[in-house]
Formats: sequence, structure tokens, C-alpha cells
Amino acid sequence: MREFRYEEPRSVDEAIALLAKPGRNRVMAGGTDLLVRLKRREWTVDTVINLKRIPGLRGIEDRKDHVFVGALTHLDEIGRSELLASRWPFLRETVHEMGSPQVRAMSTVGGNLCNASPAADMAPPLLCLDAVMVARGPLGERTVPLTAFFAGPGKTVLAPGEILTGIRIPPAPAKGCFIKFCTRRAMDLAFVSVAAAKVGSDVRLALGAVAPTPIRVPPSVEEAVKRCSPIDDVRASAEYRREIVRVLVRRALAKVAP
Amino acid sequence: MKSVGERVPKLDAADKAAGKARYVQDLRLPGMLEAKVLRSTVPHGRIVSVDVSEAWKVRGVRAILTAKDIPAKAWGYAKDTTALKGDRVRRIGDELAAVAATDIEAAIEACERIKVVIEPLPAVYDIEATLAPGAPVLHESKGSNLVQTHHYEHGDVAAAFAKAAKVVEGTFTLPAQQHAALGPVGAVAEWDANGRLTLHDPTQIPFLVQRDLAEALDISPADLRIVQPAIGGAFGARLDLYPHEAIAALLARKAGAPVRLLFSRDEDFQTDPVRPRTIVKLRTAAAADGTLLARDADILVDCGAYVSWGSMTPVVMVNTFGNFYQCPAAKFRARTVWTNTQPTGAFRGFGNPELLFAVETQMDELARALKLDPIEFRLKNANRPEEVTPAGGRITSCGFKEVLEAVKAKLKRPAAPAEPHLKRGIGVAAVFHVGGGARIYRSDGCGATVKVDDFGKATVIVGATDIGQGMETAMAQIAAEELGIPVSMVRVATQADTDVRPWDVGVHASRTTFIAGNAVRLAAKEAKKQIEDARAALKLPPDAPVDKVVRAEHFRQKGRLISASAFYDPPTSMVDKANHGNVSAAYTWGCHGVEVEVDVETGQAVVKRVVAAHDVGRAINPMLVEGQIEGGVVQGLGYAMFEECVLKDGRMQNGFFLDYRIPGIKDVPDIETVLVETGDPEGPFGAKGIGEAPIVPIGPAIANAIADATGVRMREFPMTPERVWRELRNSR
Repeated sequence: MREFRYEEPRSVDEAIALLAKPGRNRVMAGGTDLLVRLKRREWTVDTVINLKRIPGLRGIEDRKDHVFVGALTHLDEIGRSELLASRWPFLRETVHEMGSPQVRAMSTVGGNLCNASPAADMAPPLLCLDAVMVARGPLGERTVPLTAFFAGPGKTVLAPGEILTGIRIPPAPAKGCFIKFCTRRAMDLAFVSVAAAKVGSDVRLALGAVAPTPIRVPPSVEEAVKRCSPIDDVRASAEYRREIVRVLVRRALAKVAP
Repeated sequence: MKSVGERVPKLDAADKAAGKARYVQDLRLPGMLEAKVLRSTVPHGRIVSVDVSEAWKVRGVRAILTAKDIPAKAWGYAKDTTALKGDRVRRIGDELAAVAATDIEAAIEACERIKVVIEPLPAVYDIEATLAPGAPVLHESKGSNLVQTHHYEHGDVAAAFAKAAKVVEGTFTLPAQQHAALGPVGAVAEWDANGRLTLHDPTQIPFLVQRDLAEALDISPADLRIVQPAIGGAFGARLDLYPHEAIAALLARKAGAPVRLLFSRDEDFQTDPVRPRTIVKLRTAAAADGTLLARDADILVDCGAYVSWGSMTPVVMVNTFGNFYQCPAAKFRARTVWTNTQPTGAFRGFGNPELLFAVETQMDELARALKLDPIEFRLKNANRPEEVTPAGGRITSCGFKEVLEAVKAKLKRPAAPAEPHLKRGIGVAAVFHVGGGARIYRSDGCGATVKVDDFGKATVIVGATDIGQGMETAMAQIAAEELGIPVSMVRVATQADTDVRPWDVGVHASRTTFIAGNAVRLAAKEAKKQIEDARAALKLPPDAPVDKVVRAEHFRQKGRLISASAFYDPPTSMVDKANHGNVSAAYTWGCHGVEVEVDVETGQAVVKRVVAAHDVGRAINPMLVEGQIEGGVVQGLGYAMFEECVLKDGRMQNGFFLDYRIPGIKDVPDIETVLVETGDPEGPFGAKGIGEAPIVPIGPAIANAIADATGVRMREFPMTPERVWRELRNSR
């Protein structure tokens, strides 16, 4: 691993100021993606800004008009949360499909989303729940719906110097499911993932790993297959991914809206 | 029996679990430098220039080597490789230069500053295309890319096929498999002021490296000492001399300081030897009553760019081909080839998983075609005890019938699942493997010394190597049994180096418990006799403890210490030119029964349950034997279902654990092991080797179960969801 400077800011403002300094600066949440990339020399970084010492970025809170999930909330905290499980039990199922207990104890929901992998497992269920991202930067705080948050593989709409502080989930409970398709039964990356949820009478559907970003699609097999744009890569062919979308969407919709 | 047959926990387990075992990556010598190798990014090309002048400007650099700075000695089985390449690169990863520096970042930066000019040449990666006329030739002095052809034949094959009631044929394609050992590849070299080299090296063949590395470095083997740290797995990957071992030694000599050369995981994936890509074309014939009549195989095996042990896998294939089942006629041809890819090496099973995927699939196809139960069909044609095979194999103990019957009794057809897209099926496959050494070198021997000290503690100094399989524990149990003392009073000197330990050919071919176990048993028996002779001569009572006898024996004029040495070399022969002969002093049989569930909409097959029955001769330590069987099942399951080096233009596309998938704990099915104890007449306390056999039959057993569940016959590994889905779609 190449040498880099390391900072531990104690407030979001301090972190924003550090991020704005010249150089290739990156924030670190759980570090489970960043450190692997640094060790593999895929990224060169001048300063790593660890956000973990900033109070208030971690935790799950019922704020009446929404549930707030701090960006630095660990995935296993999402999985253990009674509040989340009481309204959206499929979030727990989603977390259990991610990494290993060790990885879940380090990695964060904010990191999973800001890493902006097309296969980010937290994205499809949160897309179904109309989650809203809360970001702060040099110009203050703003909110972005998750549906408008991803800009491409590895890219979000966060401006330079902006930090994701949390996620707002609208309070209505939902019945949902998350189906992750991969070769192994754990510790694997989805080559297709599907989340479906029924909020009131509204059926929602989102897909992972079959487009440049996770996407929300209309809740039908035909629409899902039409709107996905999978690629051929070392994990699977586009043709096969499209077929898996067809199968999994049918199964997911049958589960939430039989 | 007090110690043999006991479930003694592995003696090294606590240190390994607590992080106290010292692996090569834990070694730190005073003044030690770190090394990095600059590797070719071009798969085939002429080296025009290697300019290191800028690299010297990096702070901390202490030594830089290119091919010009080292002895121009080719080594290896085909004398086709050198430590650093001077005129030609033949694969991505070829060693061009090496740097030793005070820290690894400086060594990496220096490598990045070396200017290399390579003129690309046409390259060939495909193992069939490499033999086509006009294919680029890797080693021009060899004339073509054909390394060697292996032939074998017995019986009248043409006549047998002509009269057969049923003939099945198929082409089976097997990928390169990575050993993926947890422990990184590396070595630490240090020279003393007298010009003697010590190499800390997690090798499987310390005594052969002593000889081969000395030759490559142009020094006397007497001036070279190999010390093995704890070995973090090997599975065959450390069975040869490799460039990094020579490079570490040469850098240390040039720098005048100890040098550690440790691979990154990416380097391990891209450059360390792999199980060879193999294509098996096979035909099998049977009579209407289920009598096996003939087999005919034509096989291609990849050697990669340089010849290592991958090229010799046909030798084990042919041993199985000529010996396994009572098959009256058999014809075999295997060709090994050079391609511009990473060299291939030994890997647990050594050709047998590749060959038996084809053989055991066709046994299943024939059984179905003849409407016979697959186990009954195998029983009808099974080898029997005390049989001499057409290939010259001398079978002594043989539990083939017992392992087949054990699986038949325990593998039940599962109920059909409620969901219509899920289909369940069962399948079986069997294995034959060497279990009493394998004479592929002139000697298949191992030496041992047992000494008993003033405190009644016995020390076993044995040539054998522990690569995690449990050699230390098994030897301690054998010595304890023979000496009549508890295992807790035995130490195995695993830290001892080649200066101290008696010679051994190396840890391979499932030979250690059998060969080293016999050597330790002989030495312990002699030590025990010395103790009893002393007891009698000194007129000590029969209940006098061992420590008292030992002390009394040497605290006197003309006293003696208790110490005995032995060498065991099994009664076997190398094969003749026609590949006939008895290479092993014992053979083992196994049978795996598998239950799978296939999602016919996605193609995903999940192994739910495995019954693994093995003829182990005698379990010295049942817990370790079960561990070997379970480990083999899991590693074989990875080979069959997940693992594959995906190549594009000679570069591995998935050289990272994210996309090179070895099974995780959730992918491991319930495994029920059945130990069949036949009591081998030559094995120590009746034991036979079991290290490799369990990796072999699991793959074809899964493929046969998938066929049972879906009607689709898989003839390519890994059987990924997408591959199964394509076969399902094609079958509709």
C-alpha cells in the first residue's frame, strides 16, 4: 500500500474542510472497499479522511415523518434493528445476504451506497422504499432521492467536498423481499439482484447489477426485462443476466403481490 | 492400541489458531530487505532492452538484477526456464528484473521505473490450437509446442468396441484451477560470511530444492540449507523449484543482506502454477450384462509456458486408466503442450480428477443405458483384493466393494420438492488412487530418527514435511504407539532443517503417512528395543519408567544414548516405457454419493448432501482422516462448481478472490464420512494414504446427480449456473 496522510475529523464541517483541500482526498467509512482498492494499488490517495470519529453519523432513529439512518450505521446494525425490522423486515434479509459477519460489522450503509457499485445490495430495497439521501457540503445541506443519487458505475451525484450524512426512509411500513443471485451462497457479488416491496397498494420493483446503476423499474416482468441493460463480463453473460431478471422478478412479484 | 486410532487433536492446531505459528510472511531477520519482481505484461515477445538506471535512483534500493547478472542456467524437467528471462518472454508474468530495497514500497517503485522494451510476437493460448501447423512456437529449439506424448495399451481395444452392446463417448473440458492456499508464496534468503546460503522456504521438497537450487545458483548443495517455516497450505503448488526461490537467493547475495521475496495475492493468482487445463476425449464400451469391455482415451494437457509438474499428470492418469476396474482392454494417449500461459503444476489428485470426471461420467451413462443400478454396475466390474492388473498393478488390500456398499446403504433418493422449478437428484462416482507412495523418482523413501531423552520424552526427526495435513500428529501417534508412551511425551522436530533431518523425497502423492510412518515406526521400534535391552542388561524392574532406564543407561561408564534411525523405501518399481509397473505399495478406493437440488429456471445446482466412503487401510487418527476427506470434498466441489481461471489474451481475468470463487462455509454441504478399514499389510499399522483421493470423485458425482435430476449431462467444469442453464435450454 502506498503511503497516505490520515485524518480523523471530529465534525462534519471539519471533514468537509479536509476534503476541500488540494490533492486526491477520500473519505473512509467502514473501509471495506477503500482499503482493498488501496492495497491493490487501484487508487492513489493523498489523504484518507476517516469519518468514524464524527459523532451523530451513526444510528437509527424514528423521526415520525421519516426514519433516519446515519450514513455510518454498520450493516449489522441495520440487520439487528428492531425498528427497521418492524416496518421493513426485508432489510434484515438484505443485510444477511451481504459479505460475512466480519464485513458487516465494519462496513456501513453509506459506504455501500456511495461506493455506487451497480451491484450494491442496499440499493434495490432502499429504492423501493423511496429513500432520500441527505448530504452536506461547503454550500450546506441538501437532499437527493435515491432514484437520482447514482450517476454511473462508481459515481454518485455528490459534489466535490460533499459527504453523505444519512438516509431518510418514509415511514410507511412495507412487505418486501430481496433476491440476490450469485454463484456462492455467501461472500459473493450479485450478478442480478431484485427487490420488490408493497407499500399500501403500491407495488414497487428495483434491480441491481443489470444496469450502470441500481435502478427502479415499473413492477412487471416485461418492463424489468425491457429496462435492464446488462453487460457481458467475467461473472455472467448479458443474455443470462436478462433471463435471471425475468425469473427473479416473477418470483419477487409473486412473493409481495400474489 | 493406545495411540493409533485415537482422535488426537492436531498438535499444531492451537498455535495456528492463536496466530503463534510462524509462516514465511511472519519472518523478520535483522537488516532484512524486501524484494519485488518486475514481470512481463506481454504474453510472448523478444526482449529488446531492460534499462534499470532510473530504478537505482529510488531511495532504499540495495540490489537490482536482470538476466545479465545471474548464472545463465536453464533448469526444470525440460530445461526450458531461468530465474530471470534475458531474450524472450513467453507468458504474462515472466520475470524480467528484480529489486531488493529497504522497504517494499521502494522495491515496487524501483520496478515501476525500470524501462523494458519488448517486441511482441504472435502468441497461442488454446491447448488445441497450439499444436496446429503454423502456431507460434514457444521454444524454437524444441521444434513444436508438443512437450511429450504418453502411450499405454492393454488388450484388444478395437475388437472389444466392435462387439460391445453399448458404447458411450464424449469430450470433457477441465479448467485451470488455482491452489488458493491461504499462505502466501515467498522465500527468505540469507548468506553467511562463508558463502553458505540458508533459504527459509515453505517448499514441499526441501531436499530436492537443495539439489536443484544449488545447481541453478552454481554452488555446492553442501553450502545450502533449507529451513521450512510453518506452511500455509500447498496442495502441490510447492513441488518444484521456482524462479522466486533463486531470485531471493541471488538478490541476497548481491545486496549482502537477507532478502524476503513475498508474492502479492495478485502475483500468486497470475504467475504461480495451476492445475492444467485438460481436454479428455473418452469412449467406454460395455456388454449387455454390464461387463466393462474397453476404454479409449485421447487427452491434451496444458504445460503453460514452461514445463513443470503439470506435464506429468498423464503419469497418474495412466495409472488409473490401466488399473481401475477390471477392464480387459484399454488404450490411452496423452499429449502435453506449451502455450503462452502460466505454467502448470502439481495439484492434489494430480490428473486423476481430470481423467475420472470422464471415466465416472461414462460409467454412469453406461449404467443408465444398460438399465443397471450405477453402484451394482461398478460392483460387477470392481477390483478385488490380491489382484494383479493388466497394467502390472499389484493390488493387496482393497475395500472397493465396501465403499460402494457403504454409499448404497446411506444415499437415499430424496423426496421431490414442492416448488416445481426445483429438481432433486442423486449421483455417485468412485476413485482409485495411490495410497502407498508413488515411485516417480528412483527413490520413494524417507528417513527417520527417534531419540528418547532423560525425561522419557521421545523426539522424532523425520524427513517428511507437514503442509497442514497433520504429518506431525500422525508421526507422534505412530511413535507413541510403538514406544508405548503417551502422545504428549513425543515431539516431532518440525522446525528442523535439511542439515538435521534425514532425506525425504517430498510431500506429494498421498505418501507421507504411509512412507514416513513406516520409517518412524521402524526407528521407534529399534529405540524401544534399545530401551528394553538396557532394562534387561541393567536388571531394572519391568515397571521402571522409561526415563529412569534411559538415565541409567548413559550415566555410567561405556553408557549409551537411546537413539535409532531407519529408512523406508517401499517395495515398488517405476513404470517401464510402456507405462506398465507397480508404482505404489498400496492402492485406495473411495466412493462419493451426492444429493443435488437444481433450479431448472436459473441453472443453479446446490449440493445438499455428500456421503464420502474411503478405504483408508487404517485410520491412525480418525479425526484427521475425516478432515482430509472433508477438505478434499470441499476443494473438489470448488473445482466442479465454481473455480476457473478465465483467460483473455493470456491474462487471467479473475485473479482475485472476489471473482475466483473458492467455496465458502455456506457452500459446504452436509458431509458424512465413512472410513473403511481394510488393514493394509504394508502400511504402518495398516494405514494407507488418503490426502488426494477425496478431491477426485466429488465432481463427477455431482455431475451424475445433476443428470439424474434434470437429464442434462455436464461435460465441462465448473458447472456454473449459467453453464447448466445453457445445457438445460439446449436440451429442450
